[in-house]
Amino acid sequence: MAIAKAERLMNLALCLMNTRRPLSKKELRESIEAYREAWQQGSEDAFNRMFERDKDDLRELGLVIDVDENALDGEIGYLARRDRNRLPEIALDAEEAAALSVAARVWQQAKMSGAASGALQKLRAAGVPFSEDTEPGALQPRIPAREAAFEPLLVAARDRRPVGFEYRKAGAATAEPRSVEPWALECWRGHWYLAGWDRDRQDARVFRLSRITGKVRSRAGSFTGAVPEHVDVRAVVASFAGEGATATATVRLRRGAGFPLRTKALSTRQVDGDWDELEIPYGNGLGADLAEFGPDLLVLGPEELRVDVIDRLRAVAGLKGADSDGLDEAGAAV
Amino acid sequence: MSNAIDQTRRMLSLVTYLRERPGAEVAEVARAFGITERELINDLNVLPMCGTSFRGGDLLDIDTDGERIWWHNVDDVAQPLRLAADEATALLVAARAVAGLPGLRERDRQALTRAVAKIEDAAGESAESSARVGVTFEAEGQVFADIDRALSERRLIWLRYWSHGRGGMTEREVDPIRLVTEGHTYLEGWCRTSEDRRVFRLDRIAEIKILDEPADPPRLEPRDLSAGLVNPAADDPEVVVEVGPGGRWVAEYYTHDAAEELPDGGLRITLRSADPAGLRPLALRLGREGRIVSPPQLADQARDAALAALELYREGQV
Repeated sequence: MAIAKAERLMNLALCLMNTRRPLSKKELRESIEAYREAWQQGSEDAFNRMFERDKDDLRELGLVIDVDENALDGEIGYLARRDRNRLPEIALDAEEAAALSVAARVWQQAKMSGAASGALQKLRAAGVPFSEDTEPGALQPRIPAREAAFEPLLVAARDRRPVGFEYRKAGAATAEPRSVEPWALECWRGHWYLAGWDRDRQDARVFRLSRITGKVRSRAGSFTGAVPEHVDVRAVVASFAGEGATATATVRLRRGAGFPLRTKALSTRQVDGDWDELEIPYGNGLGADLAEFGPDLLVLGPEELRVDVIDRLRAVAGLKGADSDGLDEAGAAV
Repeated sequence: MSNAIDQTRRMLSLVTYLRERPGAEVAEVARAFGITERELINDLNVLPMCGTSFRGGDLLDIDTDGERIWWHNVDDVAQPLRLAADEATALLVAARAVAGLPGLRERDRQALTRAVAKIEDAAGESAESSARVGVTFEAEGQVFADIDRALSERRLIWLRYWSHGRGGMTEREVDPIRLVTEGHTYLEGWCRTSEDRRVFRLDRIAEIKILDEPADPPRLEPRDLSAGLVNPAADDPEVVVEVGPGGRWVAEYYTHDAAEELPDGGLRITLRSADPAGLRPLALRLGREGRIVSPPQLADQARDAALAALELYREGQV
């Protein structure tokens, strides 16, 4: 039976950490049974590929592996210097440790949740006093990342590698190829967004991960420009979602109805026993939000919002567009 | 189940941990590492095959009798290892997000902020890429703090709660179970009024009172939230929605059983809901971007509501 990968990685890590001089590939192959097997039963190539992958995996785990010339024979060798791989002294009190262990449980995505518990294990091994009580408390913040594009984009942004993917814009019938230098990922209201440099459009763009279809492919080469110091993905997304509006709209709302809208109102005044009049922020997407209230809400203005809402209602009512025949007077301006 | 990467990562920390604790108890170590005893024993079976040179016999001499763990040739290979970039990112992003949660107790927030600073220091350049990932949690701070208090004092709460689907205000008595934040924050509790487990979104709580009566939720299996917070039951009625390209967002916001591509770039989405009438706001919102295929009653309710609303505009009423 082939030797398990974890055993092979562990052996490579121990060899590299335990040496004071660079070990050549050949030496490592002699010392690590799994490599000898791969070399004897497979080929030089099979061993080389395995060795390269394993080094990458250990680097992913945080090991700094230096590539040096061996002073004796000038051959290329590898070693993980202790001073470069040691966790600096870290003193966390019990309260800080408890707060961190709550945070470490937050990730619901396999790679990040593995990395978070790996971090806690290293800290625990280094003497940080985490409690051994593993029951989740009554406060449970969760970071989901169900989007398949999350992991490849996270790695690409970390390593500053350009990517390509098919992207379906909001409302678009088909997806289009995009070529992007990924800068930053942001999770807002449970959805992930990517900010980056769109190479074809030569401009900064924000993408919603759930609209990426198919695979995220790594592109050769590196970024063409600098990554901005601060990327405010949230502000861009929030403005699409209608936040940060500067205009206002006036609506009538049936008394007792529309609680969520009332919490956003800038002012509310009672008109009569049945209706209140509200002034609300008018941002992107408000027409759709207001249509949800059906006969509990009437838009007074501005006119384009009133027309938008009437048009939506007519569609749901199965009537033709506002500009065609039918109940024209319903859509007409007052 | 752990993969080879996670297992390697764990074994590297395990040797550092065991070095300081001769005769460590299997049960305790498994708890500390958040794994089952079986997983730990599996690790302990691998470790004696590892070392610096298998032929020189320089292997880790670690063994266990199933109760305790002994390492007979402890050496200094087991130094605490630096954090990897992904490890620092996972921990820091989560910790910063939680520290920004409105309504979190000030003491916890400060502890977390101090911890973040110390981790940043210890992680060094590994912490850099954590600036590339951000997560914002939303909660209504005061409501959050009230529920948090009710949870820790184990007291019943009274809510005036906006039922979005029904479009009306309801009053309920709830035994709080937990606060779950996923984008928005939700209270999961036992609703005494409907005698069922319910999830309440904090931004729809119009008023909250912590009652003197102790909370006494029935013992319930914690729900698996991996597919999302709202999980319809298998026998809930089916709802079918057809949307055009502009309505594809429905599939992103509603847990569904199927989303079939349509030739025009739209989707035919099949979902389940305990209360299909509660989807009236969705039906109204869709406008030209989609339509309810079934149940027909829901489509009728939405059409009637739209006609009633248009009547208001026609009459110039109010």
